[in-house]
Amino acid sequence: METGIWEIGIGHYLTVAACLLTLGMFGIFLNRKNVIIILMSVELMLLAVNINLVAFAHFSGDLVGQVFALFILTVAAAETAIGLAIIVVYYRNRGSIAVEDINMMKG
Amino acid sequence: MTEAATYAPIYPELVLAIGAMALLMFGAFTRETDDNAQLGGWLAIVILAVAAGMILAQPAETVTVFNGAFIVDPFGRFMKLLMLAGSAFAILMSHGYFKRHRALKFELPVLILLGTVGMSMMISAGDFIALYLGVELHSLVSYVLAAIRRDDVRASEAGLKYFVLGALSSGMLLYGASLIYGFTGTTSLAGIAAAIPPGGVPSLGIIIGLVFLLAGMAFKVAAVPFHMWSPDVYEGSPTPITAFFAAAGKVAAVALLTRVVIAGFPNAVAQWQQIIVFAAIGSMLLGAFAAIGQTNLKRLMAYSSIGHVGFMLVGLAAANADGVAGILIYMAIYLAMTLGVFAVILAMRREEGMVEDIYELAGLAQTDLKMAAVLGVLLFSLAGVPPLAGFFAKWYVLAPAVKAGLGWLAIIGVLASVVSAFYYLRIIKIMFFDDPKPAFEKSDAALVFVMGASVIFTLVFVIWPGPSILDAANAAAVTLKF
Amino acid sequence: MIYTAIVFLPLLGALVAGLFGRLIGDRPSELVTTAFLLIAAVLSWVVFVDVALGHNTARVPLMRWVTSGELDTAWALKIDTLTAVMLVVVTTVSSLVHLYSIGYMHEDDSRPRFFAYLSLFTFAMLMLVTSDNLLQMFFGWEGVGLASYLLIGFWYKKPSANAAAIKAFVVNRVGDFGFALGIFGLFYVFKTINLDALFAAAPSAVGKTMNFVGYDIDILTLLCLLLFMGAMGKSAQFLLHTWLPDAMEGPTPVSALIHAATMVTAGVFMVARLSPLFELAPTALQFVTFIGAITAFFAATVGLVQNDIKRVIAYSTCSQLGYMFVACGVGAYGVAIFHLFTHAFFKALLFLGAGSVIHAMHHEQDMRNMGGLAPKIRFTWIMMLIGTLALTGVGIPHLVGFAGFHSKDGIIEAAFAAHTAHNYAFWLLVIAAFMTSFYSWRLIFLTFHGPTRADHHAFDHAHESPPVMLVPLAVLAVGAVLAGAVFTEFFIGHHYKEFWGPALFEAPDNHVMHAMHEVPEWVRWAPFVAMLSGLGLAYLFYIVSPTLPARTAAAFRPLYLFFLNKWYFDELYDFLFVRPASAIGRALWKGVDGAVIDGTIDGTANTVGWATTKVVKLQTGYVFHYAFAMLIGIALVITYFMMKGGI
Repeated sequence: METGIWEIGIGHYLTVAACLLTLGMFGIFLNRKNVIIILMSVELMLLAVNINLVAFAHFSGDLVGQVFALFILTVAAAETAIGLAIIVVYYRNRGSIAVEDINMMKG
Repeated sequence: MTEAATYAPIYPELVLAIGAMALLMFGAFTRETDDNAQLGGWLAIVILAVAAGMILAQPAETVTVFNGAFIVDPFGRFMKLLMLAGSAFAILMSHGYFKRHRALKFELPVLILLGTVGMSMMISAGDFIALYLGVELHSLVSYVLAAIRRDDVRASEAGLKYFVLGALSSGMLLYGASLIYGFTGTTSLAGIAAAIPPGGVPSLGIIIGLVFLLAGMAFKVAAVPFHMWSPDVYEGSPTPITAFFAAAGKVAAVALLTRVVIAGFPNAVAQWQQIIVFAAIGSMLLGAFAAIGQTNLKRLMAYSSIGHVGFMLVGLAAANADGVAGILIYMAIYLAMTLGVFAVILAMRREEGMVEDIYELAGLAQTDLKMAAVLGVLLFSLAGVPPLAGFFAKWYVLAPAVKAGLGWLAIIGVLASVVSAFYYLRIIKIMFFDDPKPAFEKSDAALVFVMGASVIFTLVFVIWPGPSILDAANAAAVTLKF
Repeated sequence: MIYTAIVFLPLLGALVAGLFGRLIGDRPSELVTTAFLLIAAVLSWVVFVDVALGHNTARVPLMRWVTSGELDTAWALKIDTLTAVMLVVVTTVSSLVHLYSIGYMHEDDSRPRFFAYLSLFTFAMLMLVTSDNLLQMFFGWEGVGLASYLLIGFWYKKPSANAAAIKAFVVNRVGDFGFALGIFGLFYVFKTINLDALFAAAPSAVGKTMNFVGYDIDILTLLCLLLFMGAMGKSAQFLLHTWLPDAMEGPTPVSALIHAATMVTAGVFMVARLSPLFELAPTALQFVTFIGAITAFFAATVGLVQNDIKRVIAYSTCSQLGYMFVACGVGAYGVAIFHLFTHAFFKALLFLGAGSVIHAMHHEQDMRNMGGLAPKIRFTWIMMLIGTLALTGVGIPHLVGFAGFHSKDGIIEAAFAAHTAHNYAFWLLVIAAFMTSFYSWRLIFLTFHGPTRADHHAFDHAHESPPVMLVPLAVLAVGAVLAGAVFTEFFIGHHYKEFWGPALFEAPDNHVMHAMHEVPEWVRWAPFVAMLSGLGLAYLFYIVSPTLPARTAAAFRPLYLFFLNKWYFDELYDFLFVRPASAIGRALWKGVDGAVIDGTIDGTANTVGWATTKVVKLQTGYVFHYAFAMLIGIALVITYFMMKGGI
């Protein structure tokens, strides 16, 4: 099968995923304002992983990767729920969810 | 073989899971009183004991279920027993603490049981999917447990930090897993081991995947440089929960890391060994140096446990059966010592509340000689003074490393333990030579029990049960493929 | 099972009295420990009959102990004739001493502690004599050392007792250092410290040399000498003897148990136990003989002029231990252990008798303040007489005599049969026998006979001890009278090989056990004559003409002072070691502490402190910094692998 220059191959998927992952990680440690953004960044990282898995699964003709991706989606939902709950608890105690303020314990 | 018998190896996990559900129902449909919550705790301990009994009754052989996703072998059984003990003692010690803080809830034992299911899966995982599910089940439970005291600002900060960094780490773990899946075409450890040719050099994709995977797992064991969550989380979490993290959680994470690298990457030893050595050196040194600057006992124990993980990693770096046996022995001894120290921390209670500063221990020998003696023995053991158990723990990880040609790593280990002896001995000096502070209130029977059990274990380890643990560990270690 | 019971009953007693003594009270503590010891003693005799006479040797594994690398040792009890003899000695004397202490210590207010220590000591001693490997022996060795330290310093409010305890501890460390070096050496050479494996491997090392501090030395000679160094410390041999007389600061029952019957004989036991090694190292054996003979002679000379009743007996012990080592040195291990066996009875008897005298005189120990006590404490007097008769070896050659007669004369004959250079060992021992007789009778005469020199208040109140103290004396007296006559045939008679079985080893060319029975007639009579002349001289000096001793002392003043000051050994050591050590200590404290401690140590501490501050500063508390650290970690590792070129 002829693959032209515009044909999208596994490398493209991996590059996109790597970009998303990097964005997600940078989102976590460059953001100083709101914890919610961290939640979004985490979702971004998981998205990168899912793209990876599905792409690999597709190109190798193996279903395990797609199954894995479904599991990750499920767990990610639970994780977000718990994360939001903790953020709510924290907000009640401190009246703020700025990342810079999460600094009571150090050393 | 009948259908049910096929799943006999996972009966202990089923008992834990179903027990957790039943306990949840019990909590939901009874009145919300302290007595009921405490009863739930005792039931949870019973469930854990039943699971432990079933694990003990399993034959000493390697069985896999779910197409290799779940491995039940002597290595896993050894770690599971330790982990169950850690969970049970954490529940045992939690009653008094939460009762006094008016936070006794039936959810706590339920959550710990669910976390235990997760840890059990981590220990037995033979496939990335099972591994991930186990890790996440345990992590989600841990985030909630850290913040379970909803009105406490430090606890909620601990929960939040744990959650944010934990999510990041599972992202890394997954990314590594996805790369390895892509480059080997399989998610099972056995398949990965088979896909990397012996003697050859694994492809860069696999190496990068391995780095991410190890980073995720190093976060779980709190090895440098992925350790930074642990001091804050240990300090902020309610003390019994900290004990749960430091004891049971550590066992599961170390077991997971050990199984993944030994069973999944036997042909990439040169690669992961370097990463493990790097983390081991960092952990031992950081654990030793940073702990000196601490005055909060829980925070100090966090750094101390980072240092201890460093030592376990030295055993792992040896990459042979002796090293793994060393990890198992270390884990058993570490568990006993840690639980004992946390029992002492939980007993540091005055009328005005709990105290956690090491200077609150001043002159303890004059106000409560027994407790001072217990903590003294445990600290000497943690420092690795022979003939206490802690010495043998270090010995059995350092000796295989020397044999494997990592003598210099062992030397760093010895130096780090000399430095760390300083902060252990400082506490002993404070207890025995400083002017006494007011006496603590009388300890709960459960705490006294834990202290006594752990100190006796530490003292007589060399005679009993040392040799039998040694045998079990040696037998368990060889079940991982080398 | 019976063996385990013997070893662990004392431990159990020690735990009960030590941990719960205050709870259950003084009397129950005493009774529990004493009862356990009595049971152990009875069982020991059963074992003795079974093992020594019935030849049922055994090895009882208790548990695995330490495994690391090649070092694999199990905790096991090695039961053979040698062990059985030692079990009998240790448990019998210990149980009697326990019993005696109930009476002797009745005024003390921390009796549970005392009995716990006594039982603990007994346990450690039993560990030592049942040891199956050198590690176990070392544990027992250190255990008895520790218990001895605790017991010497039992009256810790007495400064002299503390000083004596520390002295015993330090001097023993010197010996133990050699012992430990010897064990390490054996492990280094043979890769095992199990006794049986060692004995099997030892012949292969004959004639081989190893490098030690720059010299090539015969392996076995070196190792045996190192091991013997431990024995010298524990058994108070010449040069390392100084702690034993001072140890008399402890309570008298302790002296009887530890410093006469059991612990100090550990060195002799060790040499006998390791006879398969020592037999292969003739040079080391010559050294053992030499030290033994010197000690026997030296300690006897000092004993001649001492005035403290316990010190006389202490030097006598030292001297008798020298006899035992001579027997070991010439290869007559059976004779050595035989003397150890009989000596335990009569020396414990003498000590406990002396204790009874001291008790009667309200803690007066100086013989110059005694005299004429025989009618006041008639039973004690008879017991002391029996002890003295046994110690001086009264008996008729070729016929029968007290315990010491059979064993001590056996040693003297063996020393002659071994043909040391100019028979020096034989002559030193005979002269020592003469002096032994003199100082022993001197003790009896000064204490019990003649006009009293005690102030009349003390003399009038002198009273016989309670029965609980006299019964042990009587039992020991039976042993002192009969032990020799009954057991000679077994221990050193013509059938000694059957009795000892494999417990003692003799090199094929070692015939001393036979040769000692074929010595010339005059050799047999020599100790007899020495004993009689010692008795006669003592009678002349202290009964017939009581002014003679003072005149003699004046005439030979330098010699008298030399003996009285114990050959100036304490002063010599003080000059050689103690004062330089404290001078160095002071110099270190004054000079080096300032410069080196403040410099180096504080410097290190500062570096550590600096590192700590830096590391702690890294932990900022900000989540984004933590995440960043994780990312840096990953980036570093990946970069490393990339740089290494796609490994």
